[in-house]
Amino acid sequence: MSVIEALNLSYTYSPGTPFRKDAIKDISIKIDQGDFIGIIGHTGSGKSTLVQHLNGLLRPTAGQVLLNGKDIWKQPKKIREIRFKVGLVFQYPEHQLFEETSYKDIAFGPANMGLDSDEIDARVRRAAGFVGLRDELLQKSPFELSGGEKRRVAIAGVMAMQPEVLILDEPTAGLDPKGRNTILELIKEYQQENGSTVLIVSHSMEDIARSAKKVLVMNHGRVSMFDETSAVFSRAAELQSIGLAVPAVTRIFMQLRQQGYNVGGNAYTVEQARDRLLPLMKKGGVHRA
Amino acid sequence: MLNDITIGQYYPGNSMLHRMDPRVKLVLTFVYIFSVFIPRNWAGLAIAAGFLIFIIILSDLPAKLIFKSIKPILPLILITSALNIFYVSKGVPLFDWGFIHITSQGLVTAVFIAIRILCLIAGSSLLTYTTSPTTLTDALERLLSPLKVIRLNVHELAMMMTIALRFIPTLIEETDKIMSAQKARGADMESGGVMQRIRALIPILIPLFVSSFRRAFELATAMECRCYRGGEGRTRMKQLHMRVSDVVYIVVMLLLAAGLFILNFILKPAL
Repeated sequence: MSVIEALNLSYTYSPGTPFRKDAIKDISIKIDQGDFIGIIGHTGSGKSTLVQHLNGLLRPTAGQVLLNGKDIWKQPKKIREIRFKVGLVFQYPEHQLFEETSYKDIAFGPANMGLDSDEIDARVRRAAGFVGLRDELLQKSPFELSGGEKRRVAIAGVMAMQPEVLILDEPTAGLDPKGRNTILELIKEYQQENGSTVLIVSHSMEDIARSAKKVLVMNHGRVSMFDETSAVFSRAAELQSIGLAVPAVTRIFMQLRQQGYNVGGNAYTVEQARDRLLPLMKKGGVHRA
Repeated sequence: MLNDITIGQYYPGNSMLHRMDPRVKLVLTFVYIFSVFIPRNWAGLAIAAGFLIFIIILSDLPAKLIFKSIKPILPLILITSALNIFYVSKGVPLFDWGFIHITSQGLVTAVFIAIRILCLIAGSSLLTYTTSPTTLTDALERLLSPLKVIRLNVHELAMMMTIALRFIPTLIEETDKIMSAQKARGADMESGGVMQRIRALIPILIPLFVSSFRRAFELATAMECRCYRGGEGRTRMKQLHMRVSDVVYIVVMLLLAAGLFILNFILKPAL
């Protein structure tokens, strides 16, 4: 059962002016309940435009977005409810923090849902727990926190709405490697614990390879691939032709195979590579076939 | 939604008006605005309006642009005309009903003043259409430089204006992004009473302020890294030069103003 579905979705910025631009063209995708999907594409390929359609921030020029089989724009007045069901974390979400305390900032979304204060409190603490924010940080002003902590507060602010679908636009951009790992791990944990559907837009192939089950590749406003992660990364040449790369480990494996080394299948993460190579090393090294 | 606002209406081109020295253009625009108020007779007004149409044709701007600049002023023109029609009591009465008296003189005054305002708006919009904002501040800096005598820091003033103009689109973009982000968290900006709507602005204004300050600090640091120390001894990449043609434009404009002035004595006033 697909939780969210796009049907022939198109969007044009500034129609009827010289600045007219087709951001996305005729996109049809189905996303299943509980999927973890990575969205990749070069800058300006329409990734951000696409995800802003999924929670009704942008209204499609043509086509439909279906949430649980229903057109989200059927009742335009109720579009706000869609945004509680499809949570979207923007790029650099720490720039949207505004409350006196982190606690209040995380509570902004749930409060907008009209929940009672007990429920809000429970949700804020749960979301803060997911992103590993200690109680003392919750009482601090969000502007006193470090960059990574701010980002976690902002992500918790969307998680606290407990959306069915969680979309994150470049959640690890601008963070150091440790910060990236923390954020990715906590998103994975959140997904496994809640069984919710997660979409991540990213430029980092390593991030995608590590977390996503399926990958959606965007190119010039169209979907050029949408398949299991391994299937997408095995088409390295095509990815390169549209200006994208495969994870570094995958590239090494492909080159090893080209040079005639028998390294077994492909690897997309360092862990996979380790699991493939270590047994071979134990058997006495890797040999050219 | 904010994408629809266009600020800095500069319309790039290479017409005579685009190439005119911006200082001369700025001053002549003011001279023209004053000239529009000189005529007291139809012939003078026709000359002033005709001159403007001639300049608009020379400027190579699409007529649509000029109408666009007039559009927001239309209500004002209509109100002034209406007031003139109803309140001028001189002349031949044309219509009399209860408290409404319309006279021939009232209609004449209304049309006369409407044309005057139209010329005024269209004339001044020509300046912003054919001069980029940075060129305009450059010209302003040069024109105001004599004020250094009274210790007014003209350079800093112009720099502030340039920076402010440069960051308007950036701020609009930023506002758009923050609005979307808060809407994604269920912020409701479209319903509720006045107080509720004002309160709904807080989640947008605070992040906007924070990011503006951050940007300002970053810009200041970046400028200092490039050894910016104010206007003292600073040379310019684009030098402004007055050419023979600019002198010709000045002479033409002064002749126009003088001609309009003299016409007032020759012809019978229409007002």
